[in-house]
Amino acid sequence: MRSEWLWIGALGLCLNVFGSDAPDFFEKRIRPLLASSCQPCHNANVKTAGLDFSSGEGFHLGGQSGALVNKTAPEESLLLKVTSFDDRLKMPPTGKLTPQQLADLQAWVKAGAVWPGVDASALRSTKQSSPHEFTEEEKSYWAFQPVRKPQPPVVKDTSWARSDIDRFILAKLEEKGLKPAPQADKLTLLRRATYDLTGLPPTEQEIANFLADNSAQAFEKVVDRLLASPRYGERWGRHWLDVARYADSTGNDEDHRYPYAWRYRDYVISALNDDLPYDQFVREQIAGDLLPTDSPDGVNRRGIVATGFLALGAKAIAQQDKKKMLYDVYDEQVEVVSKAMMGVTLACARCHDHKFDPLLTKDYYSMLSIFANTRSFRDPSPNVAKLLYRPIAPQDVYEKYQAHQAKVNENRFAIEDIVAAEAERYTASLTPRLADYMVAARKVNREGATVDAGLAATGLNKEILTKWVELLKPTPGVIQTHLEAWHNATDEQVPAVAAKYQADFDTQWKDWNKTMRQWRNRARRMIKEMNMPPPERPRFDFTKDRFFHGVTMEDGGPFTIGKKEEAKIYSAEAKLKLEALRAQEKEFKKNAPPEPDMACSVEEGDPVKQHVFIRGDYNSLGEEVERGFPALLSRPSDPVPGKGSGRLELAEWLTRKENPLTARVMVNRIWQKRFGEGIVRTPDNLGKMGDRPTHPELLDWLAASFMDSGWSMKAMHRTLMLSSAYQMASLASEQAMAADPENRLLSRMPRRRLDIEEIRDGLLAIDGTLDTTMGGTLQSGLGTDGENNQGRLSINPEKHARRTVYLPLRRANLPTLLNLYDFGDATTVTGRRAVTNVAPQALFMMNSEFLTDRSRGLAEQLLKREYTTDRGKVEAAYLRVLNRPPSASEVDGGVIYISRYTEKFGAGPADAWQSLCRVLMASNDFIYLD
Amino acid sequence: MDWMQRKYYVKQEPMSRRGLLRAAACGFGSIGLASLLDAAGVNTDPANPLAPRKPHFEPKAKRVIFLFMHGGPSSVDTFDPKERLTRDHGKPLPIKRPLAFADEPAGPLMKSPWEFKQSGQSGIPVSDLFPHVRECVDDLCVIRSMVGEGVDHGAALLQTFTGSSTFVRPSMGSWVVYGLGTENKDLPGYITIKPTLSHGGAKNFSCAFLPGAFQATPIGNSGLKAKDIQGEPIEYLLRKGFSPEQQRFELDMLQNINRRHAALRTSDPELEARIQAFELAFRMQSEAPEAFRVEEESEATKKLYGLDDPATYEFGWQCLLARRLAERDVRCIQCTHSYKWDQHAQLFVKHNENAKEVDKPIAGLLKDLKARGLWKDTLVIWAGEFGRTPVSQGSDGRDHNPYGYTIWMAGGGVKPGFIYGATDEIGYHAVEDRMHIHDFHATVLHLMGLDHEKLTFRYSGRDFRLTDVAGVVAGKIIA
Repeated sequence: MRSEWLWIGALGLCLNVFGSDAPDFFEKRIRPLLASSCQPCHNANVKTAGLDFSSGEGFHLGGQSGALVNKTAPEESLLLKVTSFDDRLKMPPTGKLTPQQLADLQAWVKAGAVWPGVDASALRSTKQSSPHEFTEEEKSYWAFQPVRKPQPPVVKDTSWARSDIDRFILAKLEEKGLKPAPQADKLTLLRRATYDLTGLPPTEQEIANFLADNSAQAFEKVVDRLLASPRYGERWGRHWLDVARYADSTGNDEDHRYPYAWRYRDYVISALNDDLPYDQFVREQIAGDLLPTDSPDGVNRRGIVATGFLALGAKAIAQQDKKKMLYDVYDEQVEVVSKAMMGVTLACARCHDHKFDPLLTKDYYSMLSIFANTRSFRDPSPNVAKLLYRPIAPQDVYEKYQAHQAKVNENRFAIEDIVAAEAERYTASLTPRLADYMVAARKVNREGATVDAGLAATGLNKEILTKWVELLKPTPGVIQTHLEAWHNATDEQVPAVAAKYQADFDTQWKDWNKTMRQWRNRARRMIKEMNMPPPERPRFDFTKDRFFHGVTMEDGGPFTIGKKEEAKIYSAEAKLKLEALRAQEKEFKKNAPPEPDMACSVEEGDPVKQHVFIRGDYNSLGEEVERGFPALLSRPSDPVPGKGSGRLELAEWLTRKENPLTARVMVNRIWQKRFGEGIVRTPDNLGKMGDRPTHPELLDWLAASFMDSGWSMKAMHRTLMLSSAYQMASLASEQAMAADPENRLLSRMPRRRLDIEEIRDGLLAIDGTLDTTMGGTLQSGLGTDGENNQGRLSINPEKHARRTVYLPLRRANLPTLLNLYDFGDATTVTGRRAVTNVAPQALFMMNSEFLTDRSRGLAEQLLKREYTTDRGKVEAAYLRVLNRPPSASEVDGGVIYISRYTEKFGAGPADAWQSLCRVLMASNDFIYLD
Repeated sequence: MDWMQRKYYVKQEPMSRRGLLRAAACGFGSIGLASLLDAAGVNTDPANPLAPRKPHFEPKAKRVIFLFMHGGPSSVDTFDPKERLTRDHGKPLPIKRPLAFADEPAGPLMKSPWEFKQSGQSGIPVSDLFPHVRECVDDLCVIRSMVGEGVDHGAALLQTFTGSSTFVRPSMGSWVVYGLGTENKDLPGYITIKPTLSHGGAKNFSCAFLPGAFQATPIGNSGLKAKDIQGEPIEYLLRKGFSPEQQRFELDMLQNINRRHAALRTSDPELEARIQAFELAFRMQSEAPEAFRVEEESEATKKLYGLDDPATYEFGWQCLLARRLAERDVRCIQCTHSYKWDQHAQLFVKHNENAKEVDKPIAGLLKDLKARGLWKDTLVIWAGEFGRTPVSQGSDGRDHNPYGYTIWMAGGGVKPGFIYGATDEIGYHAVEDRMHIHDFHATVLHLMGLDHEKLTFRYSGRDFRLTDVAGVVAGKIIA
């Protein structure tokens, strides 16, 4: 900065900013600069931060942060501050102005920022922005209109439609002169429904049963059976977990484990299996901890666990700018709520009003304020912030645990007292001789004296002196500033320098003893009076005083009391007491009641007054905002956040039937999973930049029906699946391909590739190794692992037999297999996964041990079981892997393959059958669902 | 929306059979990329999923090798000597200290324990930590004015690789491969050798919301030794105990079944694409392993990279492998020397060890690239996630410093023997020609022939780019 100003001085200005040149200077140097660098965001139409640079009046009026030019102290002007890039707020955002431009700007401001033709003194700067006026277009945007239940249209072909849904679909097809695809055959339908609802293939028995059932209700019975299966919650729950960007660690920087995240995952699965009404599902995830409970012990366990939805986002907990860290967390919470539940991208309004949707920066900060009033950390202040865990045990269990902990802690602090007293006594006896030790060590190090000689006539301890010699050994080349004074001292200076080290040591030692004493006292108070766990033991930061640390705390330090030395140094009385206390400690451990269950959740925080942050910068405060909801979506009857954080009111607001988004977003998600694409094909964004609905009336009809049914997700799945539309084949007529290439009219069922959970769980089910144990955690431990530790990897899904949904996800290092098959990043709301088709996926099928194991498993079963002929084995393999019997030619092909393979490679039957099984598992027939 | 992206999202008209096969052959996603690019008049090889694409303008470099020194090497002890630190050693910091990682008050100024020597015609000073690199100093473009925003490793790594210190964004390599594709159809376009597991881990080389094909392929990770990786550098590349003949036999059966399956259905490019993906995979597994056979190099070459010394073996192996991949036209290659450089204490001892491990291999790589004619179009970057403070921390260490630190580039299109930018007298803040990480990214893209403002991808309702809304190309360093 400084050098730039100097540089300018040397340049010399061709134009003079004062006097008669002034208007010219403005026109040539300043106006173009303001126009190109400032006006794009600050003009009469887009008044970012309330600023308008397009006119002199606008310029001098200033914006939400006040005037741009400080008349009394021009050097302090906001305009110069932000353009200097020395301030937190740096303008323009496209990069620093050139030194010449900066010099011009400074000269102009210093000369009074004269804008030709404008009398700045007649204007008053304003800090208040006027209420935003929405345009008619914004107000009439489809997604923000109330949900109405339209009449299903009349259709010509009355025989096809089984339900109202079909009438909506068929009407559109008929408009284009198209016919729906024919009904899918029974086995295709069974495979489709089974994977759709459970993520697993139908079993041989289920296939047989369905084929044998010729009743009109056969498929209905299948759907009901599947919806009742616990596998349904695991399957549909996994989709919600995608939306909730679920993972088991913080991701960014430290990647700390969320040790109880799995409880949230299990909550989701069981809520869906129990068909918890969606509105309640939403309420619990936003404010479950604040909801009434009928649990006899009064603890709203599931409610507390459900708020994991807010708590489990990716976080940078080692971020040193702690305010930024907190606001990034609140931002993430706004993002997940708005995208997952409202289908809008409210977080885009963090720095400026939303560019496309009628969402204001003020709306963003109003909602963010609710999370700023909510606590997500136990303690955000340490270097690595502490995450919040809440107990979810009944009061008496928790109290019993607490009482026990109190006893353990009291005992612990009795030990702490004795150890501290002994250490203090010991160090107190040595400190007066510290300088003597240093001088003696110097004799050994410098003059080659032996330690014994150094001891002569001094009364120093030999062992301790040896350690001093080691500590003070000169190390050429190495810079250790704490020893520089010592090593650089001349012989004459030595006594004084040594005395100084001794005095400093003594001061530090007394300080530290004080710190420790205070800690012990505070801990005892917390244990006794407040029934709380003691604060963490202070750790002496070695960077503060390297000398002190080296002398008393490091292993081998001359005054350090090592474990082995305790017996020698401690008094007999102290040893006796310690022995008893340590025995007691062991006893306590043996009889400890189990730790009560905990949850990763949020809780009510301290009240915070929230301002708009201009350009998202917390140092630039705009107007103060009330906690609340986006202006355009607000109604006078909305709940008003009162005493608490406002989460309760947010939960209520989201689930009011008047809210135009919540039901639409959810039925669209369900539709997408049943029909391949949503009615709106961007399920997380119903805003302007998202897609328009292909069937807007149908979407509303579904949303209204959903609410009428009491928000039952199972009922919605059932309704969709029992329609004729769901039961169409995936065959497309030429006519349909031509008129409806993207299938926006739903002229057929789209074919889809199985996702990675279906591939993996399906293959495990096929060879019979799938472990269907539900719930619990496979992750252990707290905190994180060493930087290069393999413990940072997620569990390898290829080495486990549990369903994929139960494998913990270390966010920073997701399993390769999941990355390979488009799992997503477990960090952002993912309502729709990408589907790629690349060679490395083929390599997995061809070469992975997982496929080797699965195909081997199936081959061995084929060889063991009752299929006596090769034909029988081929048939069984097809049925197991592809869920259909093979055609006669496929059977022939399989049998020939086995014999040729055996012959050509001299392979045993197990190898040959394994190869055939692998082929089937790798086939398009397996991986695509018609 | 970027034209390239439109290729992924604009749905195509129903295709002719030939178009269909070509589209499918590219093995790519639900939309036939090749045929679309074809239609757009871009010359592409339909058999390649990451088909090379035309840059925005004539590139200076075709590929990039990023040597990443995880932990943050100290600039004032390597490439940015500060006479004032020697003079005022032990005096208090003369400026207000910016946000640091440590809680305690700043220590005093601390001189560098290493001697700096000028070398070559350019006379650029390099400390005794890097005697071998010093021999190559006339090839380096030393940038002494880097500026980042992250004071902790996690934020600094993320920003170095993705531009954002907070959010999950595509990494620079992903953007480059998205923009340019890659020329070797048997190898991935973006490979990272022993990437770090910590400080964001895979997020540092992920493609985030870009299509999955643009993410890096990791070769092992920072916690593994070269010998653990050599057997199977790329996951799933080989099936043990299975001959190519057996594999081909099995694959033929699979393709029969797949073709029969497709024949029974309405034409679907996706099905044909997967058939072709298997053929491509088969070719990859026959061709790719050769690229990883570092042991086949001559003894002289191995020696050049320090493979004959246990201290330099690991990073030497990484650098030599990087050269083999560069030779085979892998677009983006990264070698990570993981998390060793974080000397809050024991600066002298540990920086000596670290520099010893990388100095000879890096110099070997530079010399080898020149000898093999790869120099002109290969951009080499050496950087940490930040530098270290000029003040001491706890007597013999230095804290993090993202406010002014040194990186260097070499080869492909940068001025050789050149110093760009400067820090203040004590080496705390960049003051001249400041190069923010966004500027660095803009410059690297520029060297690769890409305009950082045009390389965009629409996601979640807006166009994203590597440089967000910032980034200025540092024109002065371009040769």
